Amino acid sequence: MAPPLGLVKRLLLRSGSLSHTLTRSAFIARNPDHTKPNWGKVGLTFGTAAALWVLLFKQHNEDVMEYERRREEREKHDACTGCSYVDNML
Amino acid sequence: MVFLPDESRGLPPPPIVNRNSVWMGLVGWASALVDNAFNRRPVIRAGVHRQVLYATVGWCVGYYIGKRADYIHAKRDRDLMEYIRQHPEDFKEKDKKILAEVLEDFHPIR
Repeated sequence: MAPPLGLVKRLLLRSGSLSHTLTRSAFIARNPDHTKPNWGKVGLTFGTAAALWVLLFKQHNEDVMEYERRREEREKHDACTGCSYVDNML
Repeated sequence: MVFLPDESRGLPPPPIVNRNSVWMGLVGWASALVDNAFNRRPVIRAGVHRQVLYATVGWCVGYYIGKRADYIHAKRDRDLMEYIRQHPEDFKEKDKKILAEVLEDFHPIR
């Protein structure tokens, strides 16, 4: 009973301090250094924002073209059938 | 439940600069500023990349929300007009009387 307990205690003591065998540990806390920006994250953020703007402009232009196309179709249809009452949204 | 049905594309799309986009863009920017405040950073000067991204996301959300609102309103108006067209007896125009016919003659008592 006693030897396993002592071993466990030594292992537990070792986990908090720096040992001579270099180990990475998830339990070492460091203060984040705000004087050095994470340029990768900044670049990704700006890149995402730029991509979103490009996509928005593209979507808007597609919407305008689709609306104009449908309007022409509807006017052609109305001219052919003598202005029949159809769903004005189509 | 589709967010934007196909027939909504027959409606004129909102311009890029529209009220919903501007508002939601400002909301996004404000949420970036609030995030700065909660993390005890300088409110306007910190995280400009974050402010730009949040404002952009808000702008795009406002655009799509505006499109859906336009669709819902157009659908409601179309259904309303269709109902009025199919029930003319409920929407008869009343004969309008001008005020001269309604008022009694004026006899001044001096």
